Amino acid sequence: MPQSKVTGVMGVRLRKEPVLNSPVLIASWPGIGNIGVIAADALRKALEAEQLGEIEPWDFFYPKKILVRNGVLEGLEFPSNTFYFRKTEKVDLLFFIAEEQPTPVGGMYAEGKRAYQMANLVLDVALKFGCRRAYTSGAAVAPVHHTMKPRVWAVPNQSKLIDEVKGYPNTILMSDLEGRLGRGNITGLNGLLLGVARKRGLEAVCLMGEIPMYLQGLSVPYPKASHSVVEVLNAILGIDATSEDLVAAVERGEKRVEELYAKFSPEIREQLDKLRYVSYTRSTEPGPITEEDKRKILEELDKFFKGKED
Amino acid sequence: MLERQPYKLYMEPGLSDSCLIVGWAKDGGRIGSKLVEYLARELRGHCFAEIEPVDFFPLGGVTVEDDVAEFPEARFYCCRDSNLVLFHGDLPACEWHRYLDSILEVAQQYCNAREIYTVGGMFSLSPHTAPRQMFAIAGSPDMKQYLSRYGLAGDFDHDTPPGQRPTLSSFLLWEANRRGVAGAGLWTSVPFYLAAVEDPAACRKPLEFLNTRFKLGIDFSELDAEIARVNDLLARARSTDPQVDGYVQKLESNLALAEQELEALAAKIEDYFKRERL
Repeated sequence: MPQSKVTGVMGVRLRKEPVLNSPVLIASWPGIGNIGVIAADALRKALEAEQLGEIEPWDFFYPKKILVRNGVLEGLEFPSNTFYFRKTEKVDLLFFIAEEQPTPVGGMYAEGKRAYQMANLVLDVALKFGCRRAYTSGAAVAPVHHTMKPRVWAVPNQSKLIDEVKGYPNTILMSDLEGRLGRGNITGLNGLLLGVARKRGLEAVCLMGEIPMYLQGLSVPYPKASHSVVEVLNAILGIDATSEDLVAAVERGEKRVEELYAKFSPEIREQLDKLRYVSYTRSTEPGPITEEDKRKILEELDKFFKGKED
Repeated sequence: MLERQPYKLYMEPGLSDSCLIVGWAKDGGRIGSKLVEYLARELRGHCFAEIEPVDFFPLGGVTVEDDVAEFPEARFYCCRDSNLVLFHGDLPACEWHRYLDSILEVAQQYCNAREIYTVGGMFSLSPHTAPRQMFAIAGSPDMKQYLSRYGLAGDFDHDTPPGQRPTLSSFLLWEANRRGVAGAGLWTSVPFYLAAVEDPAACRKPLEFLNTRFKLGIDFSELDAEIARVNDLLARARSTDPQVDGYVQKLESNLALAEQELEALAAKIEDYFKRERL
C-alpha cells in the first residue's frame, strides 16, 4: 500500500513546521448557506494566512476531476481540505477549511467512521501545534427575515465556557431559544468536531449564523450570516480582520436573496413578511407586538408551510 | 489506523505476473458484466475471492430489478491457463478508495498483477447500425506507447466537465498508477438507447483487443449470436414502431435528435426489450 509522506500525523501532509504559540483553530466544512466556510475563508484571506498542509483526500472523497493530456491520465483532482496558519500580535491562528464534507453518495453531511476519522485528523494537527481552543462554524436555520441582521447561535463543548460565550456580541445560547430548553443538534462535521474535541479535552465552540428558514432549501450561499460570525470571531480573538471581499459578497448575496424573494407569490411574501416582527428568543423587554400576536404569527406560518408541504 | 481486511479469499489463485481485467456491473450497455462473464466462461475462470459488501453498500434491504432481488457483488475470478484475474463488481456507495484498494491488493498480493485494464461503455449519439468505436486512456506514457501497437493510443485532452465526477475506472487507474501497476481504461461507444439494456456489439471491441493482446483464442460465436439477436430485436422494434424507425433513420443520416426524441427513443427501446424478454 502506498505510504503517505507524513509529518508527524498519519494521513496528513504538512509543508511547513511553524512554531505557533497556543494557536486557536478555526475549522469549517460546507453546509446550509456555506455560512461557516465563507466566514473561515474570509478571515483566512483577510489575515493572509499561509498554507500549512492538507489531509490526504482519497480515503475521504470521491475525486472531482480527471485530467487527461494526450490520451494519458495525468491526474485526479480531489476536493480540497487545507490547513493554514497565521501568527498575529494577539493570537496565533490555525485554519482548516474543507471544500466538501466526506459523505456517502447523495449525502450533504458527513457521518460515521470517516467523519470521526476526519475530525480526529484535524484535531491531531491542531494538538500537534499546541492548540488550546477550537471554533467551528455553520448555519442556524431560524424563523427570521432576511432583512434582519443575523445573530449567532453559540454552542460550547464544556459548561465552563457558558459564561464566556454569554459575553460574545450578538450571540445567543440554545437556552435563549424559546421552547428549546437548551437542546438542539448540529449536523455534520461542524458539530462532530465539538464532540471529538470534548472527548480529547480540548475546548471548542460552534458559532452558527442565522439563515432564514425559507432560504435553507434553495442552495444559495448566505454571506450575510458569515459576516455576523466573522464579527463575533474578531471580538473573541481581539483582532480586526475585515475583508472587503466578504462585504462585497454580502452585497451580492442580499441582491440575490431579494431577487429570489420577489419570485415568491404575494401570498407567501405576506406570510414571510410577518417574520420581520417576530422574535423567537426570550425577551426581557416588551416588543412592537404582544406575546399573543407573536404566538399567532408563528402558528400561522407553521400551518402555512405545512399546508404547502401537503 | 488498523482496519480489518474487507475481502475473503476462498482459494489460492495460482497466478503470477498476471493481468487484472475489471468490469463494472450495470455500466452503459452492460459491457463490463458481459465481458467478464464471457471471459470467465471461455477461459474456465474460478471465483477465488470476493469483497464483503458490508463496508461499501447500504444494506438496509434489497433492490428489485426486473422482478429479481439484487444484491451487491464484487468477485474475483482466476483464469490459470491465460494468467488473467477478472474482477466484476457493483459500484460502491461509499468508501470508494478502500474498495479500489482492496481490488488492487487482492490482484497484487495473491496474483502478482502487473497490468490492469478497465472496461466501460460510453454513450454515443451514433446509431446501432454504425460500427462501435473504442479508445483508451493510458495510465502512463509507456502504456500509451504500448497501446499504439494496437491502434488504441489517442492524443486527446479531457477535463471532467463542471458538475460531473470522474468514473470509478479512472479512480482505479490512478490508484494502480500510484502502485506502479501499468494500466489503461478501455472505453467503447454504446448507442445511447442501448445503454440501459445491452450492447453485445460494444462488448466485442474490448474482447477482441484482449484476445489479441493475451492470445486467448476466444471463440466469438456465442457473442456473435447475441449480437445477431439484439440486432434482430432492434429491427423488429423499427418495423413495429414507425417512430423508432424515424429516430434511428435520423441518426443514420447524421441528423440530431431533439432532447425529447432522445428520451423517447431510449424509453421505447428499453420497453421493447423488456416486453420481448417476458
